Amino acid sequence: MNSKMLIVVLLVSLPVFAAADSQWILQQSTLTYHVSHPLHQSEGVSHGAKGKGVCHAGQCDFLIAVPVKSFDSGDSNRDLHMIQVTRGAEFPLVTVRTRLPESDATASAIDADLEIQFAGKTVQYKKVPFKVEKQSGETHITGIIPATLSDFKIDPPSLLTMPVKNDIPVRVDMTWRPQ
Amino acid sequence: MLRKICRNRCKGVPGLVFLVCISFASALSLTAQTTTGVVRGTVSEESGKAVANASVTATSIDTGQKQSANTGPDGTYKLDLPPGNYRLAFEAAGFKTLEISSAKINGTVPEVLDAKLEKGEPVSDKPATTQQESLPNAPSSSTTAPSLSDLGLSLEQTQGNAREQALLDKRTHMLKIHQRMGLITTIPLIATVAISFNAGGKNTSSASRDLHAALGGLTGDLYGITAYYAIRAPRVPGTETRGPIRFHKAMAWIHGPGMILTPILGIMAFDQKNNGEKVHGIASAHNPVAIVTAGAFGAALLSVSVKF
Repeated sequence: MNSKMLIVVLLVSLPVFAAADSQWILQQSTLTYHVSHPLHQSEGVSHGAKGKGVCHAGQCDFLIAVPVKSFDSGDSNRDLHMIQVTRGAEFPLVTVRTRLPESDATASAIDADLEIQFAGKTVQYKKVPFKVEKQSGETHITGIIPATLSDFKIDPPSLLTMPVKNDIPVRVDMTWRPQ
Repeated sequence: MLRKICRNRCKGVPGLVFLVCISFASALSLTAQTTTGVVRGTVSEESGKAVANASVTATSIDTGQKQSANTGPDGTYKLDLPPGNYRLAFEAAGFKTLEISSAKINGTVPEVLDAKLEKGEPVSDKPATTQQESLPNAPSSSTTAPSLSDLGLSLEQTQGNAREQALLDKRTHMLKIHQRMGLITTIPLIATVAISFNAGGKNTSSASRDLHAALGGLTGDLYGITAYYAIRAPRVPGTETRGPIRFHKAMAWIHGPGMILTPILGIMAFDQKNNGEKVHGIASAHNPVAIVTAGAFGAALLSVSVKF
């Protein structure tokens, strides 16, 4: 009876053992988009991203979400236009999903395939290079996502009837720590 | 919790009964979690006409499970869903597919999500499954992957607000007209200033004064339209004015009154000049007031155009 009980308890416990091996939490982040206009350049910065990584069987799934409204370009009028043009009130979050091998945590550079949801559209960017640095138990990741307005079917905002350039590269600077 | 229930209910029972008890308690616990939420709304064309038989698909961001419903003749639909985060897709023949990337459904208040479909070929922006699978490290559909609910974002941060989007759309539309009208106003404004040198001196003709007055009148009318679109553009609640737009707005407090005062003083000066008098009294302020007004208008224009 006791051995049967042990088997049953082990079977019941299986889902617990099958749970995630480790997790990562986004400690701090700076995301900066860059917009080019014939008359001037501008940047919008957000420190409002939240992220989590769940590792299992040697693979880690990461999810990062940043509110569109958290980007600050230093001009409230420009920020409101950006929210409007990117349909930020209707789709308030930019989400980034990626899956990486757990071993990448020790690498100095990684190429990540990103699935980005923004402005109601989902776009994949393949092999986006990121630099990885380990600093006192934390992992610092930097890189540039080569986003464009047309990828997300966003009409380029214009100033004085001149539209901005299609490229809106997003500079990523994130610090992750294992949980 | 489970342990506590079993400790109370399963004291002194043999192994098999213990197991049954665990299953029962688990079932109780699961039943408690699966309260149903409701998402409903109306699918319509851009003109507002209801779209019948449109397909509405809700995909759980947390679990990947899908549920679909079709709209009725009045364009309405209803989906009963377990609470969670969903991605919704609205599809209908002859219309572009509309996607809502994130909607939170809770078990207490029905969520109303109306959709306006744009005419055109249905286009799905979601990458094909084969494309996803071909990626060496494509996002996983595994249930262990983190979901938006894991990130501790507030409801306000995750839920779309179609009304606020409509407000922003209207604001941008009006400010675009404001911007264009401002640019158009600049042309007669510069011409009015340029022609003023022939209108106000000692040896000037009445034709020059008439032209100056006509251009000034045109400038005033166009300025009025420009100002209307800025003043009537909807305000977005909770927005603090920051950056160059503050200077742009401050300048309006100078060129706004100036644009009213300048023509009044101009009419007085015009009458004095036509009567063969030298411009005198308050009318002599027409020139400096006009210069300050034009200067403030130009500075307002530059403040939003060029980064200082």
